[in-house]
Amino acid sequence: MARSYVIVGASLAGATAAITLREEGTDGTVTLIGAEQGLPYERPPLSKAYLRGEVPFDKALVRPGAFYPEHGIETVFGARATHIDPSARFVELEDHRRMPFDALLIATGGRNRRVSIPGGALEGIYGLRTVQDADRIRKEMVAGRRVVVVGMGFIGSEVAASLRQKGLDVVAIDPSKTPLFRVLGEAVGQTIADLHHAHGVRTIFGDTVAAFEGTQRVKCVVTKAGLRLECDFVVVGIGIEPAVDMLRGSAIHVDNGVVVDEYCQTNVSGIYAAGDVANHYHPVFDRRIRVEHWQNAIKQGAAAARNMLGKRVPYDEVHWFWSDQYDATLHYAGFHTKWEELVVRGRLHSGSYLACYVNDGRIDAVVGLNRAKDVRRVMPFIKSRRKVDLAQLRDEGVDLRSLRASL
Amino acid sequence: MTTEFVTAIKTNEIPVGGVKAIDVRGSRIAVANVGGTFYAFDDACTHEQCSLAEEGDLVDTTLTCTCHGSEFDVRTGKVLAPPATLPVKAYRTRVEGDALQIEV
Repeated sequence: MARSYVIVGASLAGATAAITLREEGTDGTVTLIGAEQGLPYERPPLSKAYLRGEVPFDKALVRPGAFYPEHGIETVFGARATHIDPSARFVELEDHRRMPFDALLIATGGRNRRVSIPGGALEGIYGLRTVQDADRIRKEMVAGRRVVVVGMGFIGSEVAASLRQKGLDVVAIDPSKTPLFRVLGEAVGQTIADLHHAHGVRTIFGDTVAAFEGTQRVKCVVTKAGLRLECDFVVVGIGIEPAVDMLRGSAIHVDNGVVVDEYCQTNVSGIYAAGDVANHYHPVFDRRIRVEHWQNAIKQGAAAARNMLGKRVPYDEVHWFWSDQYDATLHYAGFHTKWEELVVRGRLHSGSYLACYVNDGRIDAVVGLNRAKDVRRVMPFIKSRRKVDLAQLRDEGVDLRSLRASL
Repeated sequence: MTTEFVTAIKTNEIPVGGVKAIDVRGSRIAVANVGGTFYAFDDACTHEQCSLAEEGDLVDTTLTCTCHGSEFDVRTGKVLAPPATLPVKAYRTRVEGDALQIEV
């Protein structure tokens, strides 16, 4: 009997799952439901080439519009799911339509975190998550204007770079000691701070926003330390929270996102989650992980689809992402929260290095600045959990593909 | 359109496990040496046009574009892993003496 597959979230993860269900040859119905109007798209260009006006939006589409009907994927865009009933097996949309399913994928992603700061409702303060957000920021991007970027995580760092590249006057503020501090730590974060300084960004670390001031529109950012930053507009990038509102009161387990096992399945049989919203058990690291990476959206979306078809394939990808800032590219692979040792190959502050986050002789994660190939070559060691010879890891003369295991 | 084999490079200029990009009659073509067998394909990744000779990491017959993680089978140009969705064009090769020839 043909089954009905419903995907909530026309995100990169959701669209990839729909495509994969068809590629795997299901004869069931596939329905892709999204809150945003329009076709599924990839978000990485929104803080980079698209924001700078260098590529058209079409280039960010996951597939051209004709692809979905041609492949028998029914699409319902511009319709937010408001409720999921796991026992009666239906999704309810905001227009009260009910979409029954046999198997369901939750790929609703996240929404920008908000903090309540005095003056936060003034005009000229933007978040960045959707293409509409990017379009609003683009309208403000005139060379010479003054912008304050709040938060120097990946979105803040990339936006700051893009704004500088377009000739705006950029001040960035973050409560940590460096950009990307929470993920990469101080030593690596400092190299990113240097990169921004070299391109003329003024940074303020160890301080936060106390208030936005202005009459109708923001004119000044006031910090806790008492700085007053005059500006024409503000971009806030302080992270996302998983979009799980539609699960409130349901039996589906939510804890920092939708909790799923290594088969992308929730505690309710036949209901799955993938992408930014999925707090997934990772067999390589033997713990739950929730990441907000583009590669995870693709790979986990595909893995979830295969598991919806009963293939029982564990999702054990080594997480990976990249970040373009100015002419530098940062790649990261693995997962780490703390580290005993940071093993550096090359020199930090040299414009090209590899840094490995090592615990108990094993590489948990690696970050490279302009070292894409080296990051790729370290990934097998992260996945295998083998201890490696750290002296060799440090030694530029040793080919990473021939690293010895340590005793 | 007729094609012919064109001498592109000397075989000893591409070490085993190496990938090198060459201009052949106006096309930028990458050649991979897999254990002494040569495979030729368009150098530009079909995802974001990164040079596969520059950015590609070759393991056996799988070439990973390290810019964004697309994987290709160098024997056929077929996509093995996204984000690329389109194959890279593959070319036939043959060895004549110490010359590697590519059919273009």
